[in-house]
Amino acid sequence: MAIKFERVSYQYQGHDEKAYLALSDINVNIEKTGEFITLIGETGSGKTTLVQHMNALLQPSEGRVHIFGLKIDRNTKKEGKVKLNPIRKKVGLVFQFPEYQLFEETVEKDIMFGPKNFGISQKKALELAKRMIKVVGLDESYLSRSPFNLSGGEKKRVSIAGILAMEPDILILDEPTSGLDPIGRNALLKVFYDIHKTLNKTVIIITHDMNTVYEYAKRVLVMREGVLVFDGSPLALFSRKNIENWNLDIPDIVKLKTALSEKFNINIEDSPRSREALFKSIKAVIKP
Amino acid sequence: MKNIVIGRYIPGNGFLYKLDPRTKILAMLILMIATFVINNITYMVVAIGLIIVILLFSRISIKRVYLGLRPLMFLLIFTFTFQIIFNQQGELLQAWPIYYSFLTLGLGAALVLTWGFTKKFVRFKLLYFLLLLVGLGAVFTNLDTYYVFAQGHLRIYSEGLSMSLFIMMRLIIVVTLSTMLTITTKPTDLNLGLEYVLAPLKIIRVNAEEIAMIISISLRYIPTLLDEANKIMMAQASRGVDFQEGKFKEKIMQIVSLLVPMFIISFKRSDELANAMEARSFVPGRARTRLHVLTWKRMDIFVLTISLSLLTLSIVLRVMA
Repeated sequence: MAIKFERVSYQYQGHDEKAYLALSDINVNIEKTGEFITLIGETGSGKTTLVQHMNALLQPSEGRVHIFGLKIDRNTKKEGKVKLNPIRKKVGLVFQFPEYQLFEETVEKDIMFGPKNFGISQKKALELAKRMIKVVGLDESYLSRSPFNLSGGEKKRVSIAGILAMEPDILILDEPTSGLDPIGRNALLKVFYDIHKTLNKTVIIITHDMNTVYEYAKRVLVMREGVLVFDGSPLALFSRKNIENWNLDIPDIVKLKTALSEKFNINIEDSPRSREALFKSIKAVIKP
Repeated sequence: MKNIVIGRYIPGNGFLYKLDPRTKILAMLILMIATFVINNITYMVVAIGLIIVILLFSRISIKRVYLGLRPLMFLLIFTFTFQIIFNQQGELLQAWPIYYSFLTLGLGAALVLTWGFTKKFVRFKLLYFLLLLVGLGAVFTNLDTYYVFAQGHLRIYSEGLSMSLFIMMRLIIVVTLSTMLTITTKPTDLNLGLEYVLAPLKIIRVNAEEIAMIISISLRYIPTLLDEANKIMMAQASRGVDFQEGKFKEKIMQIVSLLVPMFIISFKRSDELANAMEARSFVPGRARTRLHVLTWKRMDIFVLTISLSLLTLSIVLRVMA
């Protein structure tokens, strides 16, 4: 078990000295390898707060988080016994807004910043930078450019490359595809899926796009008002009746499947997850 | 970072809340001038007493004001000690010899070091700091051994004592008055009030409205920028920046990694804010109508009269003395 939440609650101190409960009584386990998790929920439901607990950026107000065997609770920071920095090498977290992390003169230096902080040599870091810029779909000519003269989507890719270059065991991405065009979004999702597939790494993605959830995720976590209301497979999630109450959309493929069955009486038995699979299933039903 | 009280408005319903912001700003200025006119310790104590009465009367919690004063405490103690030691006017009140010997210097250094290491664990930091000063004084004035290699004098003069007390009390009054203003006045009201109070500056071609707008926007953005700084620190911590530790060279890198995004984000934000203001037809310097029009009430005239009479009283008392 890589990350384990035990009855975790977290309170924000509001400006009027009232405490605001951002997480309440979260229990969840995340394996070290082989998971592809999407985390969904409305804005303000505590998704970001939850993932910030996963690399010990925040410490719970109640309960404990175990991260690779290290126990994090409300006293961790005060006692100072647990070194938090190595945790961040193992659990890489990409923030939603690249503006919060880009600061170097060139893209190359910015990607190398993370690895060098964790004691990776200049030469190795440079290699990583050259490799990761291609992984996120940009070419090497970007390395010498300033990160501030890039478009929003390019900045986003550079910030993701900066975390990928740290070669974390678990990769967490906070809305990695917001602000990207559909083609770029699909390409980037492919990248994360490939990382998960080829290296068997656990990847956690916060998203609002139900199509992503339905197509890629092996497991879905749904947050609502600081409570984890669902933890299971996407198929199980979207066959539930009351998911509109959680302000969630139905994925296009599921919508199409229901429409086919209601309007044309075409009933597909299996549950295709991608567009191609759906075409195949439809053909199989129509042909004979 | 969330405990910053400067410029914070706290909702309430005491009589200060009901006053016109212009009255509050003017009265604050008048009373501040009055505290600088007063040069008699008795009147100063009376002034502080008056402030406390106003605080109680307007139902502002004394704790809040104390929190506003706290960052100033070290400055206060610092100026106080310096005035006492170096101001040598008036008559000599008390004199102690100071012995510089290995014993006293060593003990002094040991005291400072223990204070430095233990202050983390003491709740009343200020009291502890005072204790250190008293302890240092006791060590240097009382312990003499055979190895005294220099001798000085700690002399306290009447002027030094009264000046240090004056400076301290003036600072306390000035800060308390401004805290009272910001606690009881909404930023928008403060902005409006400032516009009116600064209006006469138009004669020398200074646009009061713009200045007031600049002040209120900066006040408004303090918490927002603190929030941004917090987020940037988290994003950089995710990339292995350990803001608690690090050698000098790493520290510089840490600060750069915080400051650059901070500047970029502030520029972007101000750009966006300017566009948003323009989209709502804000033109700097153009006359605007008001949603809330300020009106003088009987209470305002009363408060201003009292403040002015207090100022006159302090001038008269000073001239008489």
